Amino acid sequence: MNAIVPWIDARRAEAAERFRTLGLPHRRIENWKYTDLKSALSGANDSEPGAIVWSIASVPSGIELFDLADPENAPDWVKAHLGKAAMAEAMPAASLALARTGFALRIPKGASAAEIVRVGFSGTGHGRALIVLEEGASLTLVESRVAERGFSNIGTEIVIGANAHLTHIRSADAAPDAIQVEDVAIRVARDASYRAHLVNGGASLSRLNLRMTLKEPGANAKLSGVSVLGGKLHADVTTEIYHASRETQSTQLFKHVAGGQSHVVYQGKIIVAEGADKSDSRQTAKALLLGERAEADLKPELEIFADDVKCAHGAAVGDLDADSLFYLRARGIPEVEARNMLIRAFLEEAVAEIADDGIREAVWASVESALPGAMAS
Amino acid sequence: MLEIKNLHVAVGGKEILKGLTLSIAAGKVHAIMGPNGSGKSTLSYVLAGRAGYEITQGSIRYNGEDLNTLAPEERAAKGVFLAMQYPVEIPGVTTLNFLKTALNAQHRARGEKELDAMSVLKFVRKKAAALKISEDMLKRALNVGFSGGEKKRLEILQMALFEPKLAILDETDSGLDIDAMKVVADGVNALRAPDRAMLVITHYQRLLNFIVPDRIHVLAGGRIVAEGGKELAHELEAKGYEHIAGKAA
Repeated sequence: MNAIVPWIDARRAEAAERFRTLGLPHRRIENWKYTDLKSALSGANDSEPGAIVWSIASVPSGIELFDLADPENAPDWVKAHLGKAAMAEAMPAASLALARTGFALRIPKGASAAEIVRVGFSGTGHGRALIVLEEGASLTLVESRVAERGFSNIGTEIVIGANAHLTHIRSADAAPDAIQVEDVAIRVARDASYRAHLVNGGASLSRLNLRMTLKEPGANAKLSGVSVLGGKLHADVTTEIYHASRETQSTQLFKHVAGGQSHVVYQGKIIVAEGADKSDSRQTAKALLLGERAEADLKPELEIFADDVKCAHGAAVGDLDADSLFYLRARGIPEVEARNMLIRAFLEEAVAEIADDGIREAVWASVESALPGAMAS
Repeated sequence: MLEIKNLHVAVGGKEILKGLTLSIAAGKVHAIMGPNGSGKSTLSYVLAGRAGYEITQGSIRYNGEDLNTLAPEERAAKGVFLAMQYPVEIPGVTTLNFLKTALNAQHRARGEKELDAMSVLKFVRKKAAALKISEDMLKRALNVGFSGGEKKRLEILQMALFEPKLAILDETDSGLDIDAMKVVADGVNALRAPDRAMLVITHYQRLLNFIVPDRIHVLAGGRIVAEGGKELAHELEAKGYEHIAGKAA
């Protein structure tokens, strides 16, 4: 079954070596302090490794889809990019070394996908994805993750060419019996943009790792996300944005709601390289704690090596505002409904970032279905 | 309609109201005047049912019912309305959506028919015009970026929409210039009705030039220390609270 395919075999061997060196992340590694993958996996009882299954409902014309299960017939654009951003960290190295399933999408130069491309991931084990937007191309990608038991590790690489624009919506349903790791590595070229909306329903352990390089002037990124957690769910969104060039912009807005004994994590690191002047970066992360045993860890971080930059960051953890709650109740709105209204109001700003009406409604629907769990003590 | 007897209220273990007695009949407008720290806001909050205001002694009866057993939303549905001194700003909730939600929550609690979005809009527009509340204000997030006058006008708009039986106006004049105060006062006066009682709480006499009360009570040190007709306001203005409170003590 596994024929010898030199190009991929060499990359997998290198990735396997890299993973052996780095090892499974655990809480004594700074970046994984709030998400102890190693101990979660040692406690999990996974007898079957399984395989990640992906599906794409329909591919608009002009877009090329390639199945990574067949590396022997990989076109040049796949060979050019696959795994190039996987070696920096342990988990994408592991998915590159071990995944035998996955897909690659290419939006050719100047092409604009007329319809939204919907990708679903299910199953356990390792998977890979590669998305390449050539110069001037545009795409809206909706990625969803089905709640299942067991461990999964997906590594995605996104390459956005000059003047190309990608909108990436990622939503994961609450998966109380799953350990989910996903690494997304993004490169953004001159005057290109990456917009992402990350809806994280949480899992027994959930880590979404987003690493981005804004590599040329005009490259820009706008990230927003919401998590609504209850029970013992955990959701960690960790971003690292590298402003490699002058005149690059990034903004981030994350809103999290944690009830019950859930645990929400946001870590956002911004690095502005030497010479990346006139760069502008903003990040805001806020968490609303609904339960006394819920936990939120928000960690914005800045490393600035350039002189002439604008960087702003803020993080705040709070509970529902007592004055607001009383105001609404005094106007006749019952307590549960008033709380619900205030939670929605808290999330509104982040959800409003989604331009597409249908997608935004779908996000509200998933928030709505997660709210009772988060509001239960 | 409202009967408060020997009311003692503690906030965080500290007694603020110390034996307040007051009753208001339907159709009447009473004013409570008092210096800072006399317990005016405590009285308004305890009437509206805010958590943390503990009745340690005495009673509040509203149409014969013990008000203390009701949640804030139940009081609202039964016709108690508090126009607040500091209306809260809630980003993420549009004013119109808030009004619709509140109106329908009260309707639902009373077993009345809920209004659809269009009926609410028509109803709100009709009442808003008289208070110089623009369509734009209704579309904005609740109280966010509103001036002091706009916030107070929105409180009075709610009073007009909810048609309460007992309206409590807590320092509705604070932060308003004379023109804004006139708009608010006109709005309040338009709502005077035989089946509606009002309690106007204020530090200054000037609001009472515009909303002329049937009776004035002076609150000091958590108790009513003086009572009288509308002329009492002018006496207070001329001689100050200390004089009146001192005379009573």
